[in-house]
Amino acid sequence: MFELLWQGIEGMMAAKYFVPLVVGTLAGIVGGALPGVTITMTIIVVLPFTFGLDPLQGLAAMTGVYVGGSAGGLVTAVLLGLPGTPSAIATTFDGHPMARRGEPGRAIWLGIWASFFGGMIGGLFLIGATGPLARIALEFGPWEFFSLFVFALSMVAGLVEGTLLKGLISGALGLVVTILGNDPVMGRERLTLGLDVLSGGIPFLPVLIGVFAFAQIMSEVERPGAASRMREGIDAAVKLTASHLKVLWEIVSRPVMLLWTSIIGVVIGVLPAIGGSAASVMAYDQAKKFSRHPERFGQGAPEGIIASEASNNANVGGSLVTIMAFGIPGDAVTAVMLGALTIHGIQSGPLFISQNPQLAYGMFAAYLIAQVVMVVLLAVLARWMLRVVTVPKSVLFPVVLVLCTVGAWALSNAMSGVWILFIFGIFGYAMVKFGFPLAPFILGVILGDQIEINLLRAVMTDSDPWLFLTRPISGGLLLASVLSFAAAIWQHQRAQRKTAAGGGGADF
Amino acid sequence: MKLSRDGWGGLAVLAASLLLFWLTLGLKDNPLVPFGPGFYPRIVLGLTILLSLGLVFADLKGKKTESKPEKRNYALVALQFGVFGLYCGALPLLGFRVATVLYVAAASALLDPPRDARGWLRVAVLAVVTSLATYYIFERYLQVLMPRGRWTGF
Repeated sequence: MFELLWQGIEGMMAAKYFVPLVVGTLAGIVGGALPGVTITMTIIVVLPFTFGLDPLQGLAAMTGVYVGGSAGGLVTAVLLGLPGTPSAIATTFDGHPMARRGEPGRAIWLGIWASFFGGMIGGLFLIGATGPLARIALEFGPWEFFSLFVFALSMVAGLVEGTLLKGLISGALGLVVTILGNDPVMGRERLTLGLDVLSGGIPFLPVLIGVFAFAQIMSEVERPGAASRMREGIDAAVKLTASHLKVLWEIVSRPVMLLWTSIIGVVIGVLPAIGGSAASVMAYDQAKKFSRHPERFGQGAPEGIIASEASNNANVGGSLVTIMAFGIPGDAVTAVMLGALTIHGIQSGPLFISQNPQLAYGMFAAYLIAQVVMVVLLAVLARWMLRVVTVPKSVLFPVVLVLCTVGAWALSNAMSGVWILFIFGIFGYAMVKFGFPLAPFILGVILGDQIEINLLRAVMTDSDPWLFLTRPISGGLLLASVLSFAAAIWQHQRAQRKTAAGGGGADF
Repeated sequence: MKLSRDGWGGLAVLAASLLLFWLTLGLKDNPLVPFGPGFYPRIVLGLTILLSLGLVFADLKGKKTESKPEKRNYALVALQFGVFGLYCGALPLLGFRVATVLYVAAASALLDPPRDARGWLRVAVLAVVTSLATYYIFERYLQVLMPRGRWTGF
C-alpha cells in the first residue's frame, strides 16, 4: 500500500499532473471564496476542462477543487462575515469576531492550518479505510447492493432540510428520471414519450449540472440587487500576518478536539449527501460543549474556528471513501467526480481500487498534495480573494452558464445534452421554489439504474423476496433504512412540537 | 380546503406519475425474462403516486400559516431562462462563437443594465472574450469540437 502511495505521490509531482492539481485547487479556493458560488458549481465549471485530459489528470484537478473549495470559504467567512461556501458557516461564528477584534491574520491562519490538519486526518482515513471497505463490498451480492442503495437514498431523503415526504418524493423523482428511455436489463425502449432525445435514456451529468447550476444561479438572480458588486465592508489593505508557530501551537495543543472534530467531519462525509455544512456546525457544537469556556464561543474563540475548518476539510476525505469503496457519491461534488470517471470509462465501486490501483493511489496522492498546495495558495492569495469577491454577478453568471453548456455539449457532442441541461435547469429551479430538496433527487438519478439492475438480478437469481430481509447485511441495511425513516419522522415531529409550543404554525 | 405550495407540488407530481404509470401498462413483457420492462417503473411510479397523495392530504389536513412574501424579481428569472432557451436554439444555427457572444451580452445586460457607452463596451468585451476564450481553449487545447452554425457556416 505504502509503495503504491509513494509511487502515486512521485507521479503526482510530475508537471503533467501537478499543474491540473494546482489549477484545480486554485479554482476551488476562488470558487469557495465567492459567496453564492458553491464547490458544486465550481466543480461543474471545471468538469468540461477535464474532458480532454487523461483520467488521473482530470481527477487531480477535481480533487484540487474539492480540497481548495472546502478551505476557500474561510477567507470571506473570517474577513467579511460571509461564508463563501455553506461549509464555512460555522467559521463565521468566531472567525469574524476575531478579525473584527483586530486579529484577522490569526483568524485566517487558524482556519488555514486547521483545514490542513483536518484534511490530513481525513486523508489518513481515506487511504486506510477505502481498501478494507471495498473488500467488504466485494462480498456483496445484488441483494446487498440493492439494500445499500436504498439505504443511501432513504438516509438522504430523511436527513435533508424540509419535510420527510418532500425528501422522499424528491428521491422518487430521481428514480423516475432513470426509468425514462430504456430498460437497463434488456435494453428495450420504454417511456420515451415519442421523443428521440429520450431513446437512449437520460445521461445524469447534464441533469446534475442543470439542476444545481440553474437552481443556484436563478435563486441569486431573483434577489433584488443580486447583480451589484460587493464592496461594502471590504478592506483590501487588511494585514494578514500572524506568528505561524503560535497559531500551530494553538491547534496542536488541542489534540483531542482536533481529532474529535475531524472524526465528526469524516463520519458525516461517509454518510451520503449530508455535507460539509452539517459537519462544521456539528463539530462547532461539540467543541463548544466540551470546552471549559463555552461562553467565549461566538466572540472569537480559536476553538470555534479550528473545529469548523478541521471538520469541513476532513469531510472531503470521508466523501471520497464512499465513492471509491461503494460507488455512492457522498455529495454533489463527488457525484460530478463519479460522472467524470464514467466519461473516461471507469466504473467506481468495490472493484475500483483493485482494478485501477494507479488511479486510486494517484487520487490519494492528489488529495494529500492538494492540502499542501491549498496552504501555499492561501498564504499567497488570501488578500486577493477579497478582490475576487467584487466580481459582479452579471459577469459571473453568464460565463458559468456558458461553461455548463460546453460541459453538457461535450459529453456527446450533441445538442441533446444541452436541451437536457436547460429542461432540468427549469425543473431544478421549480423544485427549489416548491421546497423540494435537490440532494435526494440527484442521488435517485445516479443510483436509479443500479437499484433496478440489482433488484432484477436478485429476483432472477432467486425468486424468494424474503432473501432481501434474511441475508444479514441486506436485512441490516434495510433495517437501517427503516430506522433512518423513524429517526427523521421523530425529528420532524419534535421540530413541529417545538414550533407549536413557540406559538407559530407548522409548515408541513 | 385551499391548497398551499406543497399541495400544488404534490398534485403536479401525482399527475405526471399517473400519466407515466398508465403508459407502463402498454409495455409488453418479454417471454425470456420473468419481469418485463414495466416491472420496476410500476414499483417506482406506484411509490411516487403514494407519496404525492400523502403530500396533498398532509397539505389539506395541515395548519397553514400566512407568511409575508419576500420581494423577488421573478421577471428577471423568466427573462434569463428565456435568453438561455434562445441560446440553446441558436447554437446549431449560429454556431458556438456567434451564439455565445449574443447570449453573454444579453444575459449580462439584463442582469445589470449598462447606463452609458462605457457600460455597453464592458458588456461587449465580456461577451467577445468569453466566447473566443472558451472556443479556443476547448477546440484547440482540449479537443472538444464546438457546435458549428448551419446559417453562419462556422
